[in-house]
Amino acid sequence: MSETSATTTPTGITGASILLDHVTKRFPGQVKPAVDGLTMEIPAGKIVMFVGPSGCGKTTTLKMINRLIEPTEGRIVVDGDDVTEMNGDTLRRGIGYVIQAGGLFPHMTVATNIGIVPKMLGWDKARIAARVDELLELVSLDPALYRDRYPKELSGGQQQRVGVARALAADPPVLLMDEPFGAVDPITRLRLQDELLNIQDELQKTIVCVTHDFDEAVKLGDWIAIFNEGAQLEQYDTPERILGDPASEFVENFIGSGAGLKQLTLTRVEEVGLAEAVVGNPGERAADVLARVAEAGHGHAVIVDDRRRPIQWLSRRKLGRLDVISDVPDPKLPVVGIRATLNDALDTMLVSSAGAALVTGRRDMFKGVIDVQTVMDAITRSQTAAVLESDQAPVGLNTGMFQVQASAASAASAASVDSVAEAADELAADTRAAQ
Amino acid sequence: MWDFLGDRYEQILFSGWQHFSLVVQCLILATVLAVVLAALVYRSKALTSVANSVSAIGLTIPAFALIGLLIAPLGFGVAPAVIVVAFFATLPILRNAVVGLSGIAPSIVESARGIGMSRFRTLVQVELPMAWPIILTGVRVSAQMVMGIAAVAAYSLGPGLGGFIFSGLSRSGGANSLESVLTGVIGVIVLALILDLLLVGLGRLTIPRGIRV
Amino acid sequence: MNTRTLNAEAGIAGGDSAAGIPVDPAASTATVSRGRAIWASWKGLVYQLAGIILACLALLVWLLTADLSTIELTTLAPAALWGYTVEHLQLTLLAAAIVLVIAIPLGIALTRKPLRFLTAPVLAIANFGQAAPAVGVVVLLALWVGFSFWAATLSLVLYAVLPVLRNTMIGLDQVDARLVEAGRGMGMSATAVLFTVELPLAVPVMLSGVRTALVLLVGTAALATFINGGGLGILITTGVNLSLTTVLVTGALLVALLALLIDWVGRVVEHVARPKGL
Repeated sequence: MSETSATTTPTGITGASILLDHVTKRFPGQVKPAVDGLTMEIPAGKIVMFVGPSGCGKTTTLKMINRLIEPTEGRIVVDGDDVTEMNGDTLRRGIGYVIQAGGLFPHMTVATNIGIVPKMLGWDKARIAARVDELLELVSLDPALYRDRYPKELSGGQQQRVGVARALAADPPVLLMDEPFGAVDPITRLRLQDELLNIQDELQKTIVCVTHDFDEAVKLGDWIAIFNEGAQLEQYDTPERILGDPASEFVENFIGSGAGLKQLTLTRVEEVGLAEAVVGNPGERAADVLARVAEAGHGHAVIVDDRRRPIQWLSRRKLGRLDVISDVPDPKLPVVGIRATLNDALDTMLVSSAGAALVTGRRDMFKGVIDVQTVMDAITRSQTAAVLESDQAPVGLNTGMFQVQASAASAASAASVDSVAEAADELAADTRAAQ
Repeated sequence: MWDFLGDRYEQILFSGWQHFSLVVQCLILATVLAVVLAALVYRSKALTSVANSVSAIGLTIPAFALIGLLIAPLGFGVAPAVIVVAFFATLPILRNAVVGLSGIAPSIVESARGIGMSRFRTLVQVELPMAWPIILTGVRVSAQMVMGIAAVAAYSLGPGLGGFIFSGLSRSGGANSLESVLTGVIGVIVLALILDLLLVGLGRLTIPRGIRV
Repeated sequence: MNTRTLNAEAGIAGGDSAAGIPVDPAASTATVSRGRAIWASWKGLVYQLAGIILACLALLVWLLTADLSTIELTTLAPAALWGYTVEHLQLTLLAAAIVLVIAIPLGIALTRKPLRFLTAPVLAIANFGQAAPAVGVVVLLALWVGFSFWAATLSLVLYAVLPVLRNTMIGLDQVDARLVEAGRGMGMSATAVLFTVELPLAVPVMLSGVRTALVLLVGTAALATFINGGGLGILITTGVNLSLTTVLVTGALLVALLALLIDWVGRVVEHVARPKGL
């Protein structure tokens, strides 16, 4: 991205931090506030996921950040500026907004849809056109093919991509997403999630995303905020710590069963150590390869083609029966990509007879072998690590409901409430100083 | 005004009743006609679009023009009034009946045939009851529209409250002309409301609870 | 129908991440059958126009060959007929213009937040008013304002405001609330959302309301003759009063054909003005 209107820090973060400062929302005619005294810091350049049961106030909280819903009390601070009183339309032009199914305007072409905000900001036509093409490339849609289509001529996944492109049009530092992938099929959803992660790698915006899907939160979130009724923060922490050390029974119930398995989705194959393997090529004599396997003390040899792509995985017994190694690929080879999660890897291993899987990197080149033991070690490590790291957790608490929270949360967190409140005040003071 | 009503209440009640009964009879006739027509056409795409065009074009023809056309061959009297009212009553019902019948999920018809119902039995026992709420909506639209048309139809010296409007018009400036017209207009509105309530009640009684909205 | 399937095909052929597919396999077949789709969407309109023209010709032939009396000849003189038609159209179009000026802003206002609560009552009153007989309204207004062109116009306006108002409100109401929110979420002002999102999306429904109103107006304008408002209705009343069947039939047919013609124009406008992509 060539131009960034936001603060560009040396680390490449283009996002801005957000602070919700003692924010309360009461809707007329409702006794209980929808959001009750919420103070919450959203760090710059991170993805923060809001999860919770329906009606818990997570969407209301999200919409208060761009003031589609005006807070009854409290302040919203974006990038150090108090935006509570500024013109709402001006504020929203600087914040990307993505809703379910993209919310594309059906009577406008893809290009017009994407160009709406730049046009409102007074960009000239050539610049808008260039930006539209750039964004379509970013979301993996061929501009020449899709620029002039109407939304109904796109699939659900494509509409969602255009929705993301539209939100990014004016290069806003903050992106708000309201159940963005709720309306697409599961396979497309996984792909869109991966793509969002790739885009975020490149852009490093601050992304706040509401979802009802906890797995999605675990997959996408740098931080997850779990809300209870009245937008009470039950826990606001990394996915690792929420899975490894849930703060309350509510969180435990919300995670549901299989927390351990979900942890597997947090680690990628590339982050764990891979085992070496004996490599052979088609055309070699099987006996030579067998000798190398015996020497290394392994049970198997991996046969790769001339571009180092694995084609066969032969046990000692099979090697013993062969004369010359053929070049016929084995269609049932257990292969996982290096970017796959441990969950995927484990899944592949369980169906392969070897209890292990071959790992491939770029262009499907063979990288090494991963086995069940590696996965087990990784889980243990991440569990211990999760309990330790917690210092940089962003501030998040409800000022209005201490008595309730104190009973629900552990004694330790109740004791630390005061210090956290102080931290919040300091933070607010900092932001004021920054202005 | 009250004197006018007091002096003529018998005549007003009689005309009102005539108006009402003209409309109701024509509606019954129109409903039967429309449902039969719809049942004949709804399974053919071409015939369905013909039926839709007929009802759309029919509805653009001004009632007054049609009355004029009918007075020419039939002369004055009840006949042109009845034909005009029945004609316009049929169109919205026909449109809705076609929509209702062709909107039923094919899987339901299939399952009815699958358990051995004949084509006719499926129509009578499954499709018509399911389309009935939509047909009845058409009947209500027709009833509202036709109440007004029946007033114009009085131009052919047919029965009903329209007579008060035309007699008020012919005596304009004279005694009671305004009262006469007002009686006609308000009477028609009141009758339309009563009939609509009756049709809502009919819906309550005849629409199975499972598909009531 | 046809175009929709076409587009769906094109969408699938494009693939989900189609960066790598430069040639759309559906494109070639699409251009061939696109012509057919355009014809299919215009077919009904062409038939309707052809029907109207044929009926006009038939009426003309019948009038030219019929054995007409002198009174009939003077009443049905081309200049007289043209005059009545122009009057009829004047009544219709003037009333329609006034209706648009009143009903559309009112419909917009009634769907804005501060007046939202009035939507249901206004629609109820509108439906209630629709039951009033047109003849009655025309005559009542004439007794009140006087027998004139203006009384006729006023009653026509009263009668035709309702469909336009109702369809404006319904059209705006049925715009997906999430699209409005998406617009606001991007930083469009409420006015900008109204003009760039809500109104364009409401256009089809609003136009069909306008067409309904126009057709109603042509029909009701035939009643204007009862209150000296002019128009083609005079042929019908003259025909009835003097037992001149030819005049009566000509008048009735002309009113009906005019209504069909106006309906046709309305449909053409609807077809052309329909936002692409819907």
